[in-house]
Amino acid sequence: EAIPQTRRADGPITHWQCSQRRNRQIRYKDLHVFQLEHPTKVIEWTGDKNICVAGYTGSRSEILELLLPLKLYAGENQGLCAERDFKVQHGGFSEEPIESLIHISGTRCVVTSGSSSSTLQIWDIGGDDSDVIKRTGVINLKSTSVKGCKIAPGLTDEPAVLHGSCISEVQLTEIATGRVLYTVAKESSDSVSGLQFVNACVFLICASDGTLFMGDTRDPSTCHYPLEDSKSGLHWAFGLRSDSSQSEPSGCTVARLSSSGHMLLSDLRNLQSPFCQTQLNVQHDASKNDFLNVSWAPVLDRCLSVSGFDGTVHIYNTINWSTEGQSPQPVFSHRGHEMSDEAKYSGSPPVVTTHSWHQSRPKTILSVATDGSLHVWDWVDKITDR
Amino acid sequence: MESQKSAAAGFWVAASFGAGQDVGRSCILVSIGGKNIMLDCGMHMGYNDDRRFPDFSYITQNGRLTEFLDCVIISHFHLDHCGALPYMSEMVGYDGPIYMTHPTKAICPILLEDFRKITVDKKGETNFFTSQMIKDCMKKVVPLNLHQTVQVDEELEIKAYYAGHVLGAAMVQIKVGSESVVYTGDYNMTPDRHLGAAWIDKCRPDLLISESTYATTIRDSKRCRERDFLKKVHETVERGGKVLIPVFALGRAQELCILLETFWERMNLKAPIYFSTGLTEKANHYYKLFITWTNQKIRKTFVQRNMFEFKHIKAFDRSYADNPGPMVVFATPGMLHAGQSLLIFKKWAGNEKNMVIMPGYCVQGTVGHKILNGQKKLEMEGRATLDVKLQVEYMSFSAHADAKGIMQLIRMAEPRNMLLVHGEAKKMEFLKDKIEQEFSISCYMPANGETTSIVTNPSVPVDISLNLLKREMALGGPLPDAKRPRTMHGTLIMKDNSLRLVSPEQALKELGLSEHQLRFTCRVQLHDPHSDNDTLGRIYTHLKSVLKTYSIQHVPDGTVIVESIVIKVTSSAEEPNLKVILLSWSYQDEELGSFLSTLLKKGLPS
Repeated sequence: EAIPQTRRADGPITHWQCSQRRNRQIRYKDLHVFQLEHPTKVIEWTGDKNICVAGYTGSRSEILELLLPLKLYAGENQGLCAERDFKVQHGGFSEEPIESLIHISGTRCVVTSGSSSSTLQIWDIGGDDSDVIKRTGVINLKSTSVKGCKIAPGLTDEPAVLHGSCISEVQLTEIATGRVLYTVAKESSDSVSGLQFVNACVFLICASDGTLFMGDTRDPSTCHYPLEDSKSGLHWAFGLRSDSSQSEPSGCTVARLSSSGHMLLSDLRNLQSPFCQTQLNVQHDASKNDFLNVSWAPVLDRCLSVSGFDGTVHIYNTINWSTEGQSPQPVFSHRGHEMSDEAKYSGSPPVVTTHSWHQSRPKTILSVATDGSLHVWDWVDKITDR
Repeated sequence: MESQKSAAAGFWVAASFGAGQDVGRSCILVSIGGKNIMLDCGMHMGYNDDRRFPDFSYITQNGRLTEFLDCVIISHFHLDHCGALPYMSEMVGYDGPIYMTHPTKAICPILLEDFRKITVDKKGETNFFTSQMIKDCMKKVVPLNLHQTVQVDEELEIKAYYAGHVLGAAMVQIKVGSESVVYTGDYNMTPDRHLGAAWIDKCRPDLLISESTYATTIRDSKRCRERDFLKKVHETVERGGKVLIPVFALGRAQELCILLETFWERMNLKAPIYFSTGLTEKANHYYKLFITWTNQKIRKTFVQRNMFEFKHIKAFDRSYADNPGPMVVFATPGMLHAGQSLLIFKKWAGNEKNMVIMPGYCVQGTVGHKILNGQKKLEMEGRATLDVKLQVEYMSFSAHADAKGIMQLIRMAEPRNMLLVHGEAKKMEFLKDKIEQEFSISCYMPANGETTSIVTNPSVPVDISLNLLKREMALGGPLPDAKRPRTMHGTLIMKDNSLRLVSPEQALKELGLSEHQLRFTCRVQLHDPHSDNDTLGRIYTHLKSVLKTYSIQHVPDGTVIVESIVIKVTSSAEEPNLKVILLSWSYQDEELGSFLSTLLKKGLPS
């Protein structure tokens, strides 16, 4: 007898979970599924339990600061904690779709770059007295970039932001005064895929073609390290692993990921020659270059995650990677975004726009996709977590 | 409040005196078109003293509320919306109609009685309503059907809409003349297994009052919560433990049963699932009630199953509680304060392999409330203590509207103004901005006890008589334009709730009055050494030079006529130079007449 319902008990997630159970395999320690009103392509931590997300699909976008469900932090008393929802703590409106968002550590300030203006927007998230995120200023850019200017927080005491959409335009600007503290003296029109400070003075820039630039704000020149055999048409993203926010290059590893799944791992002391090269088993789709993301786990040793090819997030353990070996297998793949109701009924399957590791909980990851879904999950390593 | 029961067309007032935070109470007063309506009458579950009741002195300082309220409307059976109803109607005093849906009417008294028992018997309180009061209160209830307009009196009408949330929950539209307000109560916009989503038509109320407790949350998916529930139950029975799920008769219980049944089938599980019989009888009764109350739309989403069509779920017998091995039992009542569920709980509490899953909020004083607060030792009757070693889990399945839901509802109803209750104003500014910007409407967020005035722009329909229309047309001028005001003269007759604009003559005729003409006469003395006729001629010349735009005639019979004003000159034989100017005018020309008399008193130019 057919059950006339619009929502079925044996929906995709439950079904998938059940099938796992039957195989006696427990995949998730925890999994929470949420739906944002508008999809985001940024997740930025603004506190131990807070993240910022922002819209990129409408002309007017919302910036939200969310508090993670307290149930995650309840520890032993998890059962008694009813709070399993995200709370919107602060919200604001931006006049443009937001491509990047960064938080300045130690402050309540975030900086955003969008796809339609030639400025960076500076915001004050606010405290307890108001829930409105207010714009406090702008930083003027030399040009507008549809992909949005790439930005990274400075690591000095005085809040500053490193920004640029092409290599020659990269500069470090002091937020309070607008003063330009440093400019990259490189005549390159290559577009920037990402940038990040290694410590207070040393920074890395990754160009879209995979070339790495390393600079020091105390030194006007920057070194650049092009790829040995650079294939055209590929887009590269990078992820920096460091011991702390004030690392020396000796403690850092850089992962570069191409839109075809090619992965390079390099030591910051020797960016010329990557110590490991491998090919991930993923599908290449040029239209999704925007969402390419490679991140290192902050707690687990040499563990990195990859997303942006489709609706999955793959986690790899790089300890046993070798250049000659075959395509490495992920230790875990999160397919939740592909399995949602929304995905089933829409024409195109969702793509993960970005993901982020929790700062202190070793295996907790937050991931978001083009359909507005937001997942918080704690995965189980089949091998090590018996 | 007392003075406001007179007609106040064009604007009205809403007073909220009870909205708190998470566990708040709802009690809202609306004054619209001269009518006073109380929306919900909830109890604040966090307080033990008089603060839990709404403060009715806002309405009147002296006792009974009957003459100050036109009606009371209850949105649903949750105690924070109806818990103070018997107190209000029987202890403070109200004899007017109380409106609520059929399921709410059926379920309310049960919850109120349960609540009363816990408060009086278990906590020993005295200033509380009695069982008889609950019965007397319910006698005043007038049940509502969905989408049916109910005339409370000649001017006030109400209509209930489906709200989702719980069985019988309704949103209510209140209309007086051309002004209306919609109150949502608690509602949700995402359908459940057994409840649909809230729905309302594009009724464009002047004000939409919505709860906003969960406006700043992003709720995790129902699937996740269900998955968690199944995981917990599965883990417990896998280790040989027993799971107790205390429930109220219908609604959530059935949903959880369906969930377990499907899961058991899929996973090929053998542990027995039981449903206590007391529940079944009540459930079938409410089931029938529910089905007749809902409309087609809802019936389609509701799973049409009889309780006992489950393969894996059987009727419970109290002796089963002692059976060894794993099992799952659904039993009433929901807060573990008495009956079957408490008996089972006492038997199973001492074993850490077992689990109790509380699916909803528990009132203070109940065992449910205590264990949810982490209490590990409970005092039972006869000084016996009970060690709580079993696992306690709180899983709330009740659905409220989040920010997205509120926006959806506004889109559906298209109100002209918005009012949010239940949230903290500081934490709601973003939502207020969002609503104001997206819909270009004003959004209010009154604090507890604060009064909000909403200015409306009601259109007052007036019928105009054909004669008057024709007369206006004959006057010429530009064609009527709906966007431009046009001045016209007529008499407004207000009779039997209708407004008509007619010509004064017609009005007089209809009212059986005879027309009176008012004429003023005035004598002005003037020294003028001419003959009467010449003096009149001089007056004529003078007036012509002053009143350039008026029609002035010098009639041969010896009068000067200005519009309708007649001027004559006479003198006596004894004093031929002392002229008396006689002015006479009708009421319509009063202004001009006064002007002329003042002018002529000044004398004539030489």
